[in-house]
Amino acid sequence: MSTGVYLRVNGEEHEIPGQWLGRRLLDYLRHELRLMSVKEGCGEGDCGACTVFVDTEPVCACLLLCGVVADRNITTIEGLPKDFRQSFAQLCEKHGGLQCGFCTPGFTMMSAWLTGGGTETGKDSVNKLMAGNICRCGIYQQLKKVIAELI
Amino acid sequence: MNSPSPFNTASFRQRALAEARYAADIIPQTAILAEVVRCPHPHALVKHIDSRATLAVPGVLAVLTAADFEGTHLGHIHSDEPVLSSVARYVGDGVAAVAARDRQSLMRGIEALRVDYEVLPHAITIDDALASPVAIHDFCADNIADKFQAIRGDWQAVKSRVALWVENTFETAAVPHAYLEPRACLVRVDGNRLELVCGSHAPSMMADSYRPIVAGWGSQLEVVTPAIGGSFGAKWGHPTHLVCLLFAQRLQRDVAMVLSRRDDMIAGRTRAAMRFKMRIGATAEGELVAKETVLWSDNGAYSLHGPAVMKAAAIRGDNLYRFSAVKADAQLIYTNNMPSECFRGFGITQSTFAQEQLIDELAHRLNLDPVKLRLSNIVHEGDTTVHGWKIGSCGIADCLDSISKRISQHRRGKTLPRNERYRTGYGLAAFIHCIGNRGYDTRFDRAFVKLAVLPEGGIRISSGEVELGCGTVEVLTKTVARELAVSRDQLEVVLGNTATGPHGMGSFASRTSFFVAMAAEDACRRFKQGVQRLMVEFAMPNPPILSELIEHARQQQRLGDLEVTGVYQPTGVVVPDESGYGNISAAYTFGAHGCCIQVDTYTGKVTVRQYWAAHDAGTIVNSNGAQGQVIGGVIQGIGFALTECASVAENGQLLNPGYLDNRVPTFADATPVEVLFINTFEKKGPAGAKTIGEPPIIPVAACIANAVHDAVGVRIYRLPITSERLWRAMNDDGSRLEPDDN
Repeated sequence: MSTGVYLRVNGEEHEIPGQWLGRRLLDYLRHELRLMSVKEGCGEGDCGACTVFVDTEPVCACLLLCGVVADRNITTIEGLPKDFRQSFAQLCEKHGGLQCGFCTPGFTMMSAWLTGGGTETGKDSVNKLMAGNICRCGIYQQLKKVIAELI
Repeated sequence: MNSPSPFNTASFRQRALAEARYAADIIPQTAILAEVVRCPHPHALVKHIDSRATLAVPGVLAVLTAADFEGTHLGHIHSDEPVLSSVARYVGDGVAAVAARDRQSLMRGIEALRVDYEVLPHAITIDDALASPVAIHDFCADNIADKFQAIRGDWQAVKSRVALWVENTFETAAVPHAYLEPRACLVRVDGNRLELVCGSHAPSMMADSYRPIVAGWGSQLEVVTPAIGGSFGAKWGHPTHLVCLLFAQRLQRDVAMVLSRRDDMIAGRTRAAMRFKMRIGATAEGELVAKETVLWSDNGAYSLHGPAVMKAAAIRGDNLYRFSAVKADAQLIYTNNMPSECFRGFGITQSTFAQEQLIDELAHRLNLDPVKLRLSNIVHEGDTTVHGWKIGSCGIADCLDSISKRISQHRRGKTLPRNERYRTGYGLAAFIHCIGNRGYDTRFDRAFVKLAVLPEGGIRISSGEVELGCGTVEVLTKTVARELAVSRDQLEVVLGNTATGPHGMGSFASRTSFFVAMAAEDACRRFKQGVQRLMVEFAMPNPPILSELIEHARQQQRLGDLEVTGVYQPTGVVVPDESGYGNISAAYTFGAHGCCIQVDTYTGKVTVRQYWAAHDAGTIVNSNGAQGQVIGGVIQGIGFALTECASVAENGQLLNPGYLDNRVPTFADATPVEVLFINTFEKKGPAGAKTIGEPPIIPVAACIANAVHDAVGVRIYRLPITSERLWRAMNDDGSRLEPDDN
C-alpha cells in the first residue's frame, strides 16, 4: 500500500512503508536499508554513534521517527564522498584516531560536518561541538588531531 | 548455515572506514529475536510464571524460564549464576525469556507475560549484607562469598621499627564498563551445531565453559568473534548467550539478541565497589616497612571474577615497594547489586586509590618529598618482592623522575591563575602491573599463533586472542611481516574463531600483545623450518624466494607443510600458593602519573588541566597504539576519579542506567595528556616489549586525589570525587568559605 511519503537516503528515493512512519529512522536505515555504519550505542541521543545528516544538519537517528523526516535528504557515511572517507581513515591511521571503532562512524559524520563548512567554528569550539559523541576508549586527543588536520 | 561463516578480523583501516561489522550488524533480517524479562526487585522469589497469554501473541515462538536451565550455573570460579533465576538477586536479574519473529511481537509477548514475585528483604550495601539475617544464596548463610588472607614478614620485628603509621578508610564506586557497543549476539544453527557470534574478549574460554552445557542438549558449539565495540573486562560469559543458544537449538532457527543501553547498564556488569581499611608504617627516615590492608569487596549477586579481583586488590600493590612485612585480610560479599566483573586494572585500580594516597600522606607527615619517598622505597631490577614477584626490567625510577620534572616545570611556569575562587594543585601516583597471571587459570597459560598459506595466495595468521582496539592485528601483522620478510598486504588475520582455532586465553592482565607476539615469533621460526625443508627437497637455491617456493609447494600440493602453530608459554612463572605468594608473570610493567588540577572552591568542581603519564612498557613496538592506550586509559581513569558511578537507590534500583546520568568523559573533558615512554628492554619480551593495556587507568584516581589535597588541603577518601562531595569535605569544619561568601 502506497503511503506517498518519501525519504531520500544518500541520494536515493525510498517510499516509507506505513508501518515505518512511526518508527525510528535508525531502525529503518539499519534494518530496511541495511546501512550498518549507523550504530546504536544508547538509543537516547547521548552517544552520537548513530549520527546522520538530515539535509545539512547532524542529528541522532535514534531520536527521529521516519515520518518526521519525510521529504528530507538523509546522508549516512555510505553517502559521504569517497575521498573524504579515505582521508579520514588515513588520518585515523596517522594519529591513532580509533580503538574499538564503534564510535568512529559518528565521529566521521561530525568531522564531515565540521569540515564541510556546515558550521562556523573556531578551533576552540571543536571540544564543545563534539561533546555529543562519546568515545569510551577515550582517545579524544587523537580525534582532535584528526579533525584539526581535516579542517 | 544460512550464510557463510564470518569473518576476517576487521583491520584498523576497515574500522576507520566504518566498514567493520559488529555482532548487531550481521543479524539477518530473518533471525528470530529474543529478549530477557528482568526482575524489577532487588531480591524476590519467582512464585509463578504464566506464559499462556505470551504464547498466544501472534509471532511469539517460545518462552524460557528457570525450569529450562535447571541445574545450570555460570561462573568461572564459583558457579553461582543461573541463566534464568527462580530467585532474582538484583534488579535486572533475568527470570524468563521470549523469542518472536519480529520486534513488535516480541514486545507484546513480554508485556503479556505474568510473573508473580514474593519480594524478599534485600541488602545493597556491604554492611547490610554482612548484618542481614537473609542469605542471598542458600549455600552461603553469612553472605561472604570468599575470603583471602596473606601475612608476610616478621610483624613483631617490624612493628618496633615503625615510627609513624598512616591509616585511613577508602571507598571506590561500582562503575559500569559502559563500552559503546551494547551486548549483542547471534546464534546460527545447523542441525546439532550451534555457532555463537558475539564480541567477547575471551571466546575460547567462553566456549570451553558453555560446551558442557550445550553438550547436555545434544549439541556442539563454536564461537566466532566479529568486531568488538569495547569490553574493558566485561564481555565474558553472559546469561543472554545461553538463552539464545537454547532458543536456537529448540527452534532450529537463527536467534539474535541486542541489549538496549538500559538493559546493558542494569544487567551488564560493573567494576567491584571496594572498601579498604589500609595502613602503612615507616621509619622516621622514610623507610617503608609495613603495610596492612583490610578489604571488603562488593561481589554483587553473583561471583564471576570477583574472588580473583579481590585477591589482586588485596596484595598486588604491595609489590611496588620494598615492604618488610605486609598483611592482607579480604572478604568478598554477596549483595543484591548487579554482579561485579573484572574491569581494566583487575582490582588494582581500586587499591591504588588507597595506597598512593597513603604514601602521599606519609610523605607530608614525615615532611619528605613524595617523589623522594617513593624513589627510596621502590623495587628494582633483580628484586624478589614481598609476594615473590621476580622483577626484571624496571623503569619506575625514571618514570618518577620524569613526572617530577614535568610537575616542577609546570609549577614554575605558573600558567594558571591562583585566586580566591580557583585553587591549583599537583599530584602524582605510581603503580606496578603484571603481564598475564600464571595463577589465573591453572590449566592453561599459553598463547598459540597459527600460520597457513592460503590457496589463493597470502598467509593467514590465526589466534584465539582478540582485537579490542589495542592493536592485536597490528602486532601480529608487524611481527610476521618482519620475521618472514613478507609485505603486510600478503597477510590476513583471523582472531577468536574456535572452529578454525587455535585456542586462546583471551585478554586478561594486559597479556595479549606480549603473548601473541611471542607465539607469532615461534610460529615464524617453525614456518622458516618448513621452508628450509621444502627448499632442500625441491632443490631450490638458498636463500629461497618465498613466493616462488610457495608457488612450487602449491603445485606439488605441499602447502600443508607450511601450516604451523607457534606457541608461547612464559618461563620462570608459578601458580601462586594460597596466600598469593609466587612469581605470576614473566615480566612486570611500571609507571608514574602526574597531574595539574584546578578546584573551583565555590562549587567543588575539579578540572584536570594537564596530565603526564610516564610508562615503562619495555621497548615500544606499536607507537601509535601504545600512545592511544595510555591516553584512553587516563581519560577513562578521569571518569573513574571524578564522575562515574552506578548510583543504586535504597530500593535497589539503578538510578543512572545511561550515559546522561552516569557521565563518562566526553570531548569537553578531554584533558591534554602527555605520554612519556621510558624505554627499557625486557629480555623475556618480544623485541624487548612489555605491555600497556590496563596500566594507564591504574594510578589516575590516586593522582587526582593527591592533587586535590595539594590544591585545597582536603583529602577525599571516596570515589567519585564529585563537586558535591568535595564541596562538603571542604566546608565540613565550617571554617572555609560558604558558597554565598564574598
